[in-house]
Amino acid sequence: MFEWSEEQLMVRDAIRQFVEKEIKPHLTELEHGDLPPYDTLRKLFRTFGMDAMARDRFERQIAKEKAGDIDDPVKTTLSEGGGGDGGAFMVIPIIELCRYCPGMVTAMGVSVGLTAAAIMSKGTTAQKERWALDLLTLEKIGAWAITEPGSGSDAFGGMRATARRDGDEYVLNGSKTFITNGPYADTIVFICKLDEGNDWPDRKILTFVLDRGMPGLEQSKPLRKMGLHSSPTGELFLSDVRVGRDRLLGETEDVQARSGAKDTFSMERTGVAAMALGIVEQCLDLSVQYAKDRVAFGRPIGEFQLIQLKLAKMEVARLNIQNLVFRQIELARAGRSLSLTEASAMKLYSAQSAMEVALEAVQLFGGNGYMAEFQVEQLARDAKVLQIYAGTDEIQISQIARSLLGS
Amino acid sequence: MNVVVCVKQIPDPATPGELDASTKTLRRSGSIILDDSDAYGVEMGLQLADKAGGGEVILVSMAPNNENKGLRTALAMGAAKALLISDEALAGSDALSTAKVLAKAIERADADLILTATESTDGYTGTIPAQVAELLGLPMVTFAKHIEVDGDRVKVQRQTEAGYDEVESPLPAVVSVTAGVVEPRYPSFKGIMAAKGKPVDELKVADLGLDAGQVGWAGARQEIADVSAAEERKAGEIVEDEGDGAERIVAFLEQLKVI
Ligand SMILES: Cc1cc2nc3c(=O)[nH]c(=O)nc-3n(C[C@H](O)[C@H](O)[C@H](O)COP(=O)(O)OP(=O)(O)OC[C@H]3O[C@@H](n4cnc5c(N)ncnc54)[C@H](O)[C@@H]3O)c2cc1C
Ligand SMILES: Cc1cc2nc3c(=O)[nH]c(=O)nc-3n(C[C@H](O)[C@H](O)[C@H](O)COP(=O)(O)OP(=O)(O)OC[C@H]3O[C@@H](n4cnc5c(N)ncnc54)[C@H](O)[C@@H]3O)c2cc1C
Repeated sequence: MFEWSEEQLMVRDAIRQFVEKEIKPHLTELEHGDLPPYDTLRKLFRTFGMDAMARDRFERQIAKEKAGDIDDPVKTTLSEGGGGDGGAFMVIPIIELCRYCPGMVTAMGVSVGLTAAAIMSKGTTAQKERWALDLLTLEKIGAWAITEPGSGSDAFGGMRATARRDGDEYVLNGSKTFITNGPYADTIVFICKLDEGNDWPDRKILTFVLDRGMPGLEQSKPLRKMGLHSSPTGELFLSDVRVGRDRLLGETEDVQARSGAKDTFSMERTGVAAMALGIVEQCLDLSVQYAKDRVAFGRPIGEFQLIQLKLAKMEVARLNIQNLVFRQIELARAGRSLSLTEASAMKLYSAQSAMEVALEAVQLFGGNGYMAEFQVEQLARDAKVLQIYAGTDEIQISQIARSLLGS
Repeated sequence: MNVVVCVKQIPDPATPGELDASTKTLRRSGSIILDDSDAYGVEMGLQLADKAGGGEVILVSMAPNNENKGLRTALAMGAAKALLISDEALAGSDALSTAKVLAKAIERADADLILTATESTDGYTGTIPAQVAELLGLPMVTFAKHIEVDGDRVKVQRQTEAGYDEVESPLPAVVSVTAGVVEPRYPSFKGIMAAKGKPVDELKVADLGLDAGQVGWAGARQEIADVSAAEERKAGEIVEDEGDGAERIVAFLEQLKVI
């Protein structure tokens, strides 16, 4: 794949129209107010039949499972994640939404991509039917909770959330923070350590599925943050939340939660490249136009070489990220996914480039670049998060280096 | 119930249009899209076929160079198939020649109802719908803002300056719709994927039983004698408000007979 196909361009144009009509007019409420993104996202899903496609796909997989024909379920989720066409139909909405609302993509991605995917990859058939379908169609909103006040990059090492056996049940305690959709989630995937009185490093990692409103579960209000305002982020507090085994993902303590989380990391890292592409495309389009229109010293600023350098570098970033996205689509089409190392490299490069491009766009716009009206300031605030979540830049770097050095 | 919808594929209005100096007509080489005005007809057709519980929407379009991008959009919305008439001999066609071609193509489709927009976005003569109806010998209702089919009759609310008229006609009929008639849907992803496999029959002038002399430059009864640039807008008159601003605006508008 070296360019978008005619059909993919049709999808892009249709989504673009939707964004113009349904999102742009509400940008102020979404990015500077308190309008949660979920109804708009549901409308997007309904309008383009993404919910029906997700349901079809889900039903096919469940039918297969019930017939006892289970090929690697994670692979199925990854390669079919985009609704055919190698995932391009999922990637294109991400790119187009990120031109205006990277936060919306985060809210959608965590619900559909992380929370539902975690259940689809490690849950029992009954658990998938109980929780995953509603998440995949966005009927319900999901949150995926691993980070804690004392552990982020070292998620498993520093984790202090616990599950204690009590008869046939478990009692859950702990707090999670920076949880996307945390304030509004209907379904929460909660990752913690099994407390058998042993040392912290030896404890098993377990994953539970919780519902909004369970006794002992508290979901905070949205936290105030630097950007990404169209994605509500919050804290979760659990005190003696009692759950049956039916909420233990996989209904067994022997499920490989660590590897489950790693698959999830790989998937969220590849999503970041598409997000970065949307931000870069928008910054570039806005910057080219501004360079032609804005006059200084009697000339359009686009005639100054220092401005030309900025534009050229933005175009280089756009081409590189686009090629990474194409590669990802091509791999998915072949039924394969990126290795964790490659996903890390892709995430690192895309996140850094998006940040650089967005800051250069602010610079190119001068004082207007610092003003909300010209949009690049929002994109610059939003781009920063790409270097932090889904594994910080530093964590990607050490992951890549470890794999190069074979250590 | 089968509905034919005439759809025009036009140069993207978002990109600046260009005139060919020798023919004095619009250059149609750039990106071609479905005329927005026709998306309403397509949506109306889909809803009517759906309500009737059967039948399909068939698109008819005349365009240069076998251009079908606009048709793909309408097919992705849900139309079943398309007839596309494209022929070198059609270059220079005026509205009447276009209507002759469309009418001949529509005859092949066995339609209960023929929908068009009120006027196209690029040519906007607004003459095609009535010409097509006349050539087909069918009744015609214009400016529809609401359409219902009841057995073998069509009931139309026809937009007027004061409100609307209720009009009924036997089927088959030609009805031209306004932009208020329905809200066009976005093509779904599934629709976009399905569009590729839907039939687009490409027809030539001869296939329609028309003579090349009846269409194109040869058959045109209208000629573009001259094209000149629109006059630059003059600077407005600035009125300083000295407390009587409102009255002076009213007086100005009255003088123009706008109020
Ligand atoms: C908007 C937003 C949404 C989020 N959504 C979710 C969510 O839905 N669910 C969820 O579970 N989490 C979520 N997170 C949390 C996110 O994954 C973590 O913030 C991230 O992993 C970093 O962890 P930390 O904040 O604890 O930083 P720390 O781990 O404390 O890192 C602090 C600094 O030290 C560096 N550092 C750490 N370890 C090393 C090392 N070994 N070598 C070099 N440098 C190192 C880091 O790179 C960073 O610069 C979200 C975060 C944000 C900002
Ligand atoms: C000098 C000249 C040269 C031309 N050269 C060419 C040429 O080279 N090739 C060519 O294809 N056409 C050519 N045309 C035809 C022209 O593009 C229009 O199709 C025709 O004149 C209709 O005029 P209008 O757009 O004003 O229609 P209107 O009467 O404003 O259109 C009303 C409605 O009729 C339907 N309709 C109109 N045109 C078409 C169409 N073409 N196909 C399907 N439905 C339609 C649509 O629903 C439209 O909204 C030429 C016209 C002129 C005057």
